[in-house]
Amino acid sequence: MNDLIIETTGLTKAYKGHAALRGLDLRVPRGSIFGFLGRNGAGKTTTIKTLMGLLRADSGTARVFGIPVTEGSASLGDSCIEVRRRIGFVTEDKELYPYMTVRQILRFLRPLFPKWRDELERRYLEMFELPLDRKIPNLSKGMRSKLMLLLAISRGAELLILDEPTDGLDPAATEDVLRELVDIAASEGTTMFFSSHQLAEVELIADHIGIIDQGRMVASGSLDEMKAQYQRLQVVFEETVQAPARWVDGVENVRQMGRVISILASRNVDAIVEQARSLPGATVERFPVTLKEIFMEHVRGN
Amino acid sequence: MFWYKGWLETRFRFCFALGFTVFFLGSAYAYGLKTTAALHVVIGTATVLVAMFCGQLAGAGIATQPAVQATAGLHGSTLFTLSLPVSRLHLLAVRASLGWLQVAGGIALYCGGMWVLFPIVRDTASGAEMLEYAGVLIGCASGLLFISVLLATFLDDLWRMYGTMMAFGALWWASKRVAMPDSVNVFRAMGEGSPLVAHSIPWAALGVSAGLAAVLFLVSLKIVQQREY
Repeated sequence: MNDLIIETTGLTKAYKGHAALRGLDLRVPRGSIFGFLGRNGAGKTTTIKTLMGLLRADSGTARVFGIPVTEGSASLGDSCIEVRRRIGFVTEDKELYPYMTVRQILRFLRPLFPKWRDELERRYLEMFELPLDRKIPNLSKGMRSKLMLLLAISRGAELLILDEPTDGLDPAATEDVLRELVDIAASEGTTMFFSSHQLAEVELIADHIGIIDQGRMVASGSLDEMKAQYQRLQVVFEETVQAPARWVDGVENVRQMGRVISILASRNVDAIVEQARSLPGATVERFPVTLKEIFMEHVRGN
Repeated sequence: MFWYKGWLETRFRFCFALGFTVFFLGSAYAYGLKTTAALHVVIGTATVLVAMFCGQLAGAGIATQPAVQATAGLHGSTLFTLSLPVSRLHLLAVRASLGWLQVAGGIALYCGGMWVLFPIVRDTASGAEMLEYAGVLIGCASGLLFISVLLATFLDDLWRMYGTMMAFGALWWASKRVAMPDSVNVFRAMGEGSPLVAHSIPWAALGVSAGLAAVLFLVSLKIVQQREY
């Protein structure tokens, strides 16, 4: 069995000459909680729409559950019906049918998903305190986000694709939702592929990360490995000095503020520490990096 | 379940269409529909009623998805609909069929009301001719309905209705100005060429309407299958 639930190779997509995806290579391991990060307009939603069979890629391949979603169909998306049956999806805009109540949209969706989980539906209806007979436009944005999550989770999906799932939720609700997502991933073995601008949230629950910038994957892998790979070194001098013009290979970024030089290193950390210590009057400390620092490093300047 | 969704989406406008039909019949009753000439006026005006049904009740099930938030953009819940495990053919076929059935329902109410309320109708036509008239209206409405279905594949609801009315207006104008055999004139077939007036079935016009509906359905299908929303 392929251990990748999503795999894209060289995926490109342009809108009226503007390139949204430029050879995207994405690998999402089965069972992972994959945080898909990028700035606004980086290509996250285009990627998600392509994976759902809603957009046609210009070139490259994409497979979900090993099923091609970008090729072999003259009719857009019809090859992806089986894929969509196995996916729970939360759209970025959280738009649902305004003429339906909560009860009606549940009644509408249930038969479309043969693995619909009644017990999960009941559980989350209670947990999210969603009023069954309230019309969707009369729900707050946070409640609509919760309803979309409920609809995605109750499908009994093997893969949850969540585009900004906690958008509109208050901090307490966000924490509840994140905890539930982790629980589902752990208890059901569901893979989660979610995009978010809330890096702290991603860092809290994701075990894998992909950073997309200008339509390309600029970093991808296990979050633990990524955080182990990167270190911030703080070099403090007794008096203000001129930082070396050349550092050992592996230095990604250097910032100097008076007597302090801050270095972000991606490899050769020991050699960089050695070089820093060889500078007159220098003391060196190592710090773990946050996901935000890794993210900023990859998207800064592009 | 897309029938259920379509019904929830359209039930109020369907009820409005039925209500307008009752108003139309009531107006004819108040007008005092007692002569053949008056009957022909009502039958001619009913063409507009049927066109209104088509403009109001058609849909393609994809682009005309209303939004909860006014700022959500043109397509509202379209992305959610397209993410469901169903083909675009299914979405289009169900919504177009529902629109067709609702138009047929409106026509049935109109024809039933005419038969029950007005003795002049029963005096000038047999029950079979009344059924034929209803069938002709439904058949001729099919071509008009699918103009609106086609527009629904790329316009939101409001612009689809405007577009439909403009298209119907242009077609009606063309039917008066462009030289063509009366037998293929769909508007005429619903009025002076209908079984209630001409006492014969306008097969050629029905064929034109059915052909137009089939072509427009195929074009609509091609659009929704190719279009990136």
